[in-house]
Amino acid sequence: MKPWATLFIFFSVISGVLAAKPSDTFEKFQSLSRSGPVDLDSASFKELTTVPRDYYAAVILTAIDARYGCIMCREFDSEWDLISRSWNKGTKLEGLKVVFGTLDFDHGKDVFQKLLLQTAPVLLLFPPTVGPFAKVDAEPARFDFTGPVTADQIYSWIGRHLPDGPRPPLIRPVNYMRIASAITLLMGAATLFTVLSPYVLPIIQNRNLWAAVSLIAILLFTSGQMFNHIRKVPYVAGDGHGGISYFAGGFQNQFGLETQIVAAIYAVLSFATIALAVKVPRMEDVKGQQLAVITWGAVLFATYSFLLSVFKTKNGGYPFYLPPF
Amino acid sequence: MAESSLDVLLKGSSGRNTRGLLRIIILLTIAAAAVSSRLFSVIRFESIIHEFDPWFNFRATKYLVQNGFYSFWDWFDDRTWHPLGRVTGGTLYPGLMVTSGIIYHILRFLTIPVDIRNICVLLAPGFSGLTALAMYFLTCEMSSSPSAGLLAAAFMGITPGYISRSVAGSYDNEAIAIFLLVFTFFLWIKAVKNGSIMWGALTALFYGYMVSAWGGYVFITNLIPLHVFVLICMGRYSTRLYISYTTWYALGTLGSMQIPFVGFLPIRNSDHMSALGIFGLIQLVAFAEFVRGYLPGKQFQKLLTSMVFLVFGLGFAGLILLSVSGVIAPWSGRFYSLWDTGYAKIHIPIIASVSEHQPTAWPAFFFDLNFLIWLFPAGVFICFQKLKDEHVFVIIYAVLSSYFAGVMVRLMLTLTPIVCVAAALALSAILDNFLVLSKPDPEAVAKASSDDSKSFRSSRNAVVGIYSYFSKTVVTCSMSLYLLLFVAHCTWVTSNAYSSPSVVLASKMPDGSQFIIDDYREAYYWLRQNTPDNAKIMSWWDYGYQIGGMADRPTLVDNNTWNNTHIATVGKAMSSREEVSYPILRQHDVDYVLVVFGGLLGYSGDDLNKFLWMVRIAEGIWPDEVNERDYFTSRGEYRVDEEATPTMKNSLMYKMSYYNYNSLFPAGQAVDRVRGVKLPAESPQLNTLEEAFTSENWIIRIYKVKDLDNLGRDHNNAVAFDKGLKRKRATKKKGPRVLRTE
Repeated sequence: MKPWATLFIFFSVISGVLAAKPSDTFEKFQSLSRSGPVDLDSASFKELTTVPRDYYAAVILTAIDARYGCIMCREFDSEWDLISRSWNKGTKLEGLKVVFGTLDFDHGKDVFQKLLLQTAPVLLLFPPTVGPFAKVDAEPARFDFTGPVTADQIYSWIGRHLPDGPRPPLIRPVNYMRIASAITLLMGAATLFTVLSPYVLPIIQNRNLWAAVSLIAILLFTSGQMFNHIRKVPYVAGDGHGGISYFAGGFQNQFGLETQIVAAIYAVLSFATIALAVKVPRMEDVKGQQLAVITWGAVLFATYSFLLSVFKTKNGGYPFYLPPF
Repeated sequence: MAESSLDVLLKGSSGRNTRGLLRIIILLTIAAAAVSSRLFSVIRFESIIHEFDPWFNFRATKYLVQNGFYSFWDWFDDRTWHPLGRVTGGTLYPGLMVTSGIIYHILRFLTIPVDIRNICVLLAPGFSGLTALAMYFLTCEMSSSPSAGLLAAAFMGITPGYISRSVAGSYDNEAIAIFLLVFTFFLWIKAVKNGSIMWGALTALFYGYMVSAWGGYVFITNLIPLHVFVLICMGRYSTRLYISYTTWYALGTLGSMQIPFVGFLPIRNSDHMSALGIFGLIQLVAFAEFVRGYLPGKQFQKLLTSMVFLVFGLGFAGLILLSVSGVIAPWSGRFYSLWDTGYAKIHIPIIASVSEHQPTAWPAFFFDLNFLIWLFPAGVFICFQKLKDEHVFVIIYAVLSSYFAGVMVRLMLTLTPIVCVAAALALSAILDNFLVLSKPDPEAVAKASSDDSKSFRSSRNAVVGIYSYFSKTVVTCSMSLYLLLFVAHCTWVTSNAYSSPSVVLASKMPDGSQFIIDDYREAYYWLRQNTPDNAKIMSWWDYGYQIGGMADRPTLVDNNTWNNTHIATVGKAMSSREEVSYPILRQHDVDYVLVVFGGLLGYSGDDLNKFLWMVRIAEGIWPDEVNERDYFTSRGEYRVDEEATPTMKNSLMYKMSYYNYNSLFPAGQAVDRVRGVKLPAESPQLNTLEEAFTSENWIIRIYKVKDLDNLGRDHNNAVAFDKGLKRKRATKKKGPRVLRTE
């Protein structure tokens, strides 16, 4: 902090005005930032946010250190960097000044206490109190992070609080590394395929493999796997008496395990059907065929009966059932 | 002798004729069953149009019948989306209305006087009979078995997955679209099998009809190219394929572009690009095949293959480049949200808010398809066994549509046809083996057992047959039992779940008698008879079509959700304080506000339960003025009782729902039966609206927007004055914002 303080005094001396003059504060933080956000501590935060100020100050209060276990803080850090870089590089409205700052919990515990903050990250946007864009209300606008947020959302939120006018677009740097690696991977895959094609092609052209893949896909989809994926349902849940309840109550609910059980039931039923339709008529042994028919028929009957009983638990008013279950 | 007389009927050419006649009779019976199982709602209630969208279709059909085809084509509707209006003629799929218009005119020509409403109500059941027939044709292409087609037709006729969208009165695009879908696929299979331009052109013709009828045509647009692509990858390119695909694509695209709503989308939208890409690919492959005939050298063939790949890759990259640069529109949101399942929730709340766009839980599959759901994989397996071109189609269709049906409840409809085909294939394979009376001859078996089959493991051995009668009886009986259960299930589901018009509700009284709740029509008729012809009604968009259809009054927003901002405006008016809402209402010329309130009856589909979506959609446009968080208590609960947040209690929706509600109960006893909570003892106070009408069971409440005060006071003061309260001096300094009248 020392050299900056001297620089600060130096500036105030040569300009011959009070050190607290707001435009100087802006210049100072602007030079500190070097196009990224400024790292603040309690003192500099206080300095940045004292009235009068003729600039906007957007400060994120965050807790990046791994000790705090704030995943959102760490995820958003790079996004925040992106925002301030995009802003500082681009052309904006004449005379509009915005300082982007980051206050980490490690450096500004008292700020967190003063603002009564229980959670992190929190974004505060302090409007200017003097100058052309001054707001009457000096209170900062506050953005609470309730879930994962992208830079675009925050950027448009900040943009809404700034006066109208041209503002730099949010530019994500092109990730050349990723493009290069993608191309390399693609070419590698192509090469690998050409080299291995004598060994791979028979596998790809294998009808049994495709049949298995298609059937598994169909079984998964028709047993509600996509519902699990989209709604993020729990795998199982307790029944309140220390046991496990396998089937969720209600027609519109299901558990992960439940769908797997149902998929298994469907699979058993389907394979029994396939056996009866395809395998059994091809058996030459008379006794064996009889046995197979009875076995598969019984499996089919019992499993279907079980399926109906499961469905009955899901849909209370369902009137149909088959004997065993 | 009885046997010989039967022989005359069953053998030779007269046997063929007998079977043909039987087949026709069975198909007609199936069609009759399909139609009659959809008539529950007409018998129970009356011949009435159901739900929401059908009311618009009905209104459009009436317009078509009254004003003729050309004015329908150019229809600008100034009675919806006030004050914007809607270019209705250019933003709808006209196939449904034109179909019923044609039927109407044919019947008139035959001097049969039928009300257009009855045509609309019965169109869906009528077409379901045709769907069963189309299903028969499609399945007959898949299998040589005599029973497969009939089974598929029967399944299609009564399976609840299709009935759900085609009961009498459900006058929606799907009513005819599923028939067109199945029939187009039948024609396509026919075209691929025969390689004939005629079948290809017929496919294109019905594809064009499908485009004019339903937005789901995109499914065909992508499925047929995918089929062709897979066939090419399997090395099954043939001139048959080339002829049928190019004919279909060229004619079908031209045909689809005739629909104003579709217009140039087929060449400018990513949804259609796969068809174009495959069209290019098949030209390359055809060229390569052509040249290959003249170039015997192996090197040349390699070169050619790599050339094909290279050009295809370049074309693909070009397509990507064009869509990135914006020449080709990106995937439409609805379609895109099928792949990226989280997309709609973040970006298009209006799509996510519709209940039929939710993912499907497993009971819904079983509910809609019953035992077909487990015959389905078996049928797909049987397709793998034969694996001709048409079976590849079934497999692709099956996998894709089961994915789609899993993502979106509504797309169960596209899954149902293929489930019926596959299940019929599986069941007919069983029945064909087990319903044969004669025993297999062991010696003949021994001869045939050395086999030709190639790679598929389970079909290496030849079919022998079933030896014992006991096996035959067991399997046949159990299958018949499952079939009977299926019929019972379908009837039960149709009668219980899919036959409610949802305009008229029915409930059971404690003594078991039926109690009809007819609040919707009561309220809409009140509007029709007691308000001026051009009184603007504001309601949430769900009820827009019904108000337009039944009350015949202009609305602000309706179920055609083309303008998200306008919907958000309504959402904001509903979710804000009166002081904010009133200027919005005035600016949009709103005369009446309609809300649906189920608190008295325990009707859960009411506006307060949809309220959060209004808030969310409004927040999407005005994030600073509407904030979802404000409607939840500090503990994150959505409450409407004493502990509701001030924002909630002051919102127009809350006030309109509970206004005067406590007067029904003894003091302090007011209960909301939907949310099961006790309400505050005092009724909310409304200053800028006055209650105009409340229906019998309080389901619909209509409020009139007050005019500006005669004395120039704001409504707050006027109401306070009327109540005899003393005017507060301090109101000028601080207080809620008041309406400024310019």
